[in-house]
Amino acid sequence: MATNREQVLQIILETLHELGEDLELPELLTADENTRLFGARSALDSMNLVNFIAEVEERVSEDIGVDILLANQNAMSMTHSPFRKVASCTDYALTLINKEEQAAEA
Amino acid sequence: MSRIACITGTRKGIGRHLANHLLAQGWTVVGCSRRESDLEHPNYTHFCVDVTDEEAVVAMVRKIKREIGPIYALINNAGTASMNHILLSPKKSYDRIFDTNVLGTFLLLRECGKQMSRHGGGRIVNFSSIAHPLNLEGEALYAASKASVESITRTAAKELANYGITVNAIGPTPIETDLIKNVPEASMQALLQRQTIPRFGTCEDVANCVDFFLRDESAFVTGQTIYLGGVA
Repeated sequence: MATNREQVLQIILETLHELGEDLELPELLTADENTRLFGARSALDSMNLVNFIAEVEERVSEDIGVDILLANQNAMSMTHSPFRKVASCTDYALTLINKEEQAAEA
Repeated sequence: MSRIACITGTRKGIGRHLANHLLAQGWTVVGCSRRESDLEHPNYTHFCVDVTDEEAVVAMVRKIKREIGPIYALINNAGTASMNHILLSPKKSYDRIFDTNVLGTFLLLRECGKQMSRHGGGRIVNFSSIAHPLNLEGEALYAASKASVESITRTAAKELANYGITVNAIGPTPIETDLIKNVPEASMQALLQRQTIPRFGTCEDVANCVDFFLRDESAFVTGQTIYLGGVA
């Protein structure tokens, strides 16, 4: 069965909540779909964005059983980065996951 | 549980020796090569993986975490060489040498580095060669690839220091393995004479450096390349 958006959103929000606790960043404890992941209005600095991406990749691998690379060539060249908000990151990760799942079924 | 080391290129040569060496010390070792290995040990797992295949490397590193545990040490040993005059070096040689030596090192470093960063740190040991500092004639592409490995080593050391990950490199002298089997004897003797200690290196010499970089006490050593044989 294909992974749904809710599962991916949950992984991303859990990751942000735990980072918020570890880094003592209260903005991340209440993260939702509109939370910004990078830029001047994000609570994450560049290093923490790296940590976030690595953690999400690992959780997707462990919880869903699919190996994806979030920071791939497409993500880095897209005009509107998928990492600007939680919602766009969720959609992007879901696209990659579903693509891998379809490839595995074929 | 014992610490886990991932070693690339364990089917033969230095990689095989290092796998046995760390297993004897009680490490859990995961090795990889393009072909199957006949190394059998209760604490050894082998993956048939081409280190230049990004998807395969990602899948292997994550499978190791899921099924064995988080990697603490990465020994980026897999490498290839080719001797040729630079004017006669085909692009195919460039692609093969840089893919295996540079791309392979980078992919493993990136994926294992991510894992180490989430699990309290680790050790990464890359492989350079004295071919780079000696600017060996006939090895322009190989030496250039190893210069790249050293550059990645120094920069990665800075970027990963905050995670408790050290990144260092070893620059071996010629060792009597398959890598140098096609080098003429006279050329090899001339090369050995350029070393401070003019003899072939051994796998034990390399293992000694690996031990040093992996020690807990070496947490303050990063971004370094140790050349064997007294080459500077």
